[in-house]
Amino acid sequence: MTIGVRPLCAAVLLFAAACDETPPTATFPESIDAALRRSIGPWGVVPIAPMPQQNPALIALGRALMFDKILSGNRDISCATCHEPALHATDGLALAIGTGGIGTGASRTLGPGRSFVPRNAPTLLNSGLGLQYMFWDGRLSRFGPPVPDLNVPLDQTTVLSAQAMLPVLNRREMRGEVGDTDVFGNPNELAQISDDQPAQIWQAIMQRLLAIPEYVSLFRAAYPDVPPLALSFNQAAKAIAVFQMAELTKTDSPFDRYLRHDDGALSLEEKRGGVLFFTTARCASCHAGPFLGGQSFSNSGAPQLGPGVGQAAPLDLGRGELPNNAFYKFAFRVPPLRNVELTAPYFHDGTLPTLESVVAHYNDVSTSLRAFDPATLPAAVQGSYHGDPGTIDAILGTLDLQLRTPLNLTETERRELVAFLKSLTDPAARDLSGIVPVAVPSGLPVF
Amino acid sequence: MAPSGLRAVRLSASLLCVVSPAAAQLIPIKTIPIAQGDQFQVFPSNNLGLGGVSIALPDSLGDPFANPATTARLRASRFFTSPTVYSLSGSAGGGRSLPVAVLARRADWYAGFALVLQQVDPSRPPRQGNIIVDTPTPGGRVLPPGPGPIPGPDLRAHGNEYAFGMIGRSWPASTLSIGASALWTGLHALDGVDLLYSGSQRVVQTGHAIDVRMGALKEWAGERGVRSLEAIVVHNRFAATHNVVYVDQLWDPGLQQFIAQPRTDRNFDHTNTWGAQLDYQVPLPTPGWRVGWVATVNRATHPKLPNYDITNVAVIPWDPGRSYAYQLGVGVSKVLGPATFGADAIYEPIRSYTWADAVQPTATLGGDTIAVGGKTIENRFRFSNALFRIGVGREIHLEGSPHALAIQLGLMVRSINYQLQQTDNVELAQRALRTSWNEWTPTWGITVRFPDLELRYRGRVTEGAGRPGTQFVVGVRDLALASGTILAAPSGPLSLVNVNTATHQISLSLPLH
Repeated sequence: MTIGVRPLCAAVLLFAAACDETPPTATFPESIDAALRRSIGPWGVVPIAPMPQQNPALIALGRALMFDKILSGNRDISCATCHEPALHATDGLALAIGTGGIGTGASRTLGPGRSFVPRNAPTLLNSGLGLQYMFWDGRLSRFGPPVPDLNVPLDQTTVLSAQAMLPVLNRREMRGEVGDTDVFGNPNELAQISDDQPAQIWQAIMQRLLAIPEYVSLFRAAYPDVPPLALSFNQAAKAIAVFQMAELTKTDSPFDRYLRHDDGALSLEEKRGGVLFFTTARCASCHAGPFLGGQSFSNSGAPQLGPGVGQAAPLDLGRGELPNNAFYKFAFRVPPLRNVELTAPYFHDGTLPTLESVVAHYNDVSTSLRAFDPATLPAAVQGSYHGDPGTIDAILGTLDLQLRTPLNLTETERRELVAFLKSLTDPAARDLSGIVPVAVPSGLPVF
Repeated sequence: MAPSGLRAVRLSASLLCVVSPAAAQLIPIKTIPIAQGDQFQVFPSNNLGLGGVSIALPDSLGDPFANPATTARLRASRFFTSPTVYSLSGSAGGGRSLPVAVLARRADWYAGFALVLQQVDPSRPPRQGNIIVDTPTPGGRVLPPGPGPIPGPDLRAHGNEYAFGMIGRSWPASTLSIGASALWTGLHALDGVDLLYSGSQRVVQTGHAIDVRMGALKEWAGERGVRSLEAIVVHNRFAATHNVVYVDQLWDPGLQQFIAQPRTDRNFDHTNTWGAQLDYQVPLPTPGWRVGWVATVNRATHPKLPNYDITNVAVIPWDPGRSYAYQLGVGVSKVLGPATFGADAIYEPIRSYTWADAVQPTATLGGDTIAVGGKTIENRFRFSNALFRIGVGREIHLEGSPHALAIQLGLMVRSINYQLQQTDNVELAQRALRTSWNEWTPTWGITVRFPDLELRYRGRVTEGAGRPGTQFVVGVRDLALASGTILAAPSGPLSLVNVNTATHQISLSLPLH
């Protein structure tokens, strides 16, 4: 029996050694991809499918209308003036400058006797994706009836084409003031029409357009089934919307590729920033959904700047200015974030010039607002900054709850967050020069 | 108690190295306590009810499939069949196999063949997988899916086929026997694989395994009994393709709503293994007692390991890898009169090294760039596993009857311990994990012997492992609910739900006259 005892003892020792069970002591850290995908999960952030092919004739008509200053009362400003392709469909200004302005882009200045448009001109990039709200106060929406004093025809097919009907009505943006003359010294007939007669204004614009043979051809090609006499500005607005959908949809950013399961699309720094974005930095609590925003309103503590809107002027209460929306005092539409790197300055009044400054603002909103230095603003708008303690207290009084606690992000984390925001840029959005026509049917200069 | 909750690593080759019904020489590598169905328990085994002891106790039914040379012990040609069913508790899977085998002997030559048909049930129970439900919107409109049909969950059972052949010769004068065997397996369903791609709609598996082995048996007669030495060389090649169908949710800017769109990821699972085993048995002076030693070595290369996608589990990215696995075991047995006793103790040190290749130039945290093909992640596993098997059996002769009855009871315990050192060459980080768990398998068996046939029933239940389960989290699903079309893919944290694997095998052995 001695022969068998030795191996038995050896076996028992071996088994005992192997069974030296140590309960799992370490939680193995998640890979950065696992952490990022897990953090994205709850926020409804999904890839964007390709934009369907649009009718080329509608695109051609929309392109002409987008860049043609004939739509403005004084024939001096087009949609593209404030949504300039070279500036990624924005104007680079804190506050937009409407009719009467001089120059283009970020160097554009107010004309004599003119005042700033109260809010920043948002980019038109990805405006055709199906956003639920239009304008900073969301007064035009996919849901429910429009605000009572908003003159939008009910037969518009999308909120985007409905939106395209409104800037031509706005005196400060495109229509001009009573008594204005256009760039040729002729009376501005659009400005003579009463504000409560939008249909007449649209009709007058159509008269201008259909007096130009090239527009007649463009409309006929775009709407072959609509008799010339039945053409209205509705069709023009729809063409502008189609142009935006076809030419300004840019959704192939590295982050989009990551959403489509390409783990290598983002750098490590961008991924870390993404985790912050969707977790501790709380960005995704507003910037969620397929557009990373655009679906809600928030008082994010932005400094107040500009001539103001409505009864609260010179302040701008944002959505809170709309009837029955007092709850949303100082709240503005949360902008979608794709291509945000290209669309500075930021917030509804363009008070923050860089992504770094935006992230720093969100890191401690209260301190950032109180310490806001108007000297950082362009000289032309510094005088319209409303930084009195009463205004700041009012803003902070309705600040979004989740912004009331500082994030306390480190410098590295802030840098990672900015890196992530830059990963939302579709390279194709960097150069939009290809969408600019050489000339427009009216013969007016494109810029 | 099975480990549960989040596990830090995902499944490694646990389903790979045992893709053979004759797995005695193939050492499994397992990094999470996931329950494996007894899919490959298809050939008959006499010792299954004895906890599977094998080192010092020959398995008259099972040995020919593990070492073809042992067929030389067969006294006469026999026909076998061993219908086997296994099931996992909680509707977590199951399957059934029907093998038919003939082992024939003519003079010094012997040969055999076997065919097995197998059906494996889906591992995800209905209601736990992905479902797509068209739900009317508040306005009564059912929103359309995106382009292309959306496949539903695959809840069908899938079949596998096995074909086994062997041939051998013995030289009675030198008491030497040499045999060779080949097993081909056509695979369409590996148990549990469909659970390992979190959020997938279905997993279409295709693949095959080839197991070629050569064995030798040398016996020496002595005063106390017969000493024996077995040597086996085995080569196993496993190649499977997993076409994993996911249903992605997208925003359609044309329809301006969420749509569902299928996406298929192709995943490859390739492992090639070379193995060798020596098994030496000697009788002890005490009557009936034998002792045996076994030594096994495996060298496995993993040209491609599958990228399992288990949500919320820290994944270990890897592409190729290699493993060295060893077994050192000792066993004793006693067969004296009607009583049988056996026990095995096996120690399994394993070293596994896997890594992930950079598919594009990858910037590291230190500012360097890892070139394409460079290693972004390196994983070094050090296993220290153990296996203990014990079993007792007793034959009961029924007085006045030509029939005999035998009962078996046994227990197998597998202890898995490992340390993982991971080097992240991108984040310039080192991570470590140490974990362990035990899997318990009580076994039992009963044999009825008639003068002209033997009917056996063997059963076992394995506890201590689990099956992945996921839970929903609020987010996309709610968003989808709001928009009408539901893509309800599980996306919550993974947890392992305790399950038991129960296996029942009835084997029939008939002499061929």
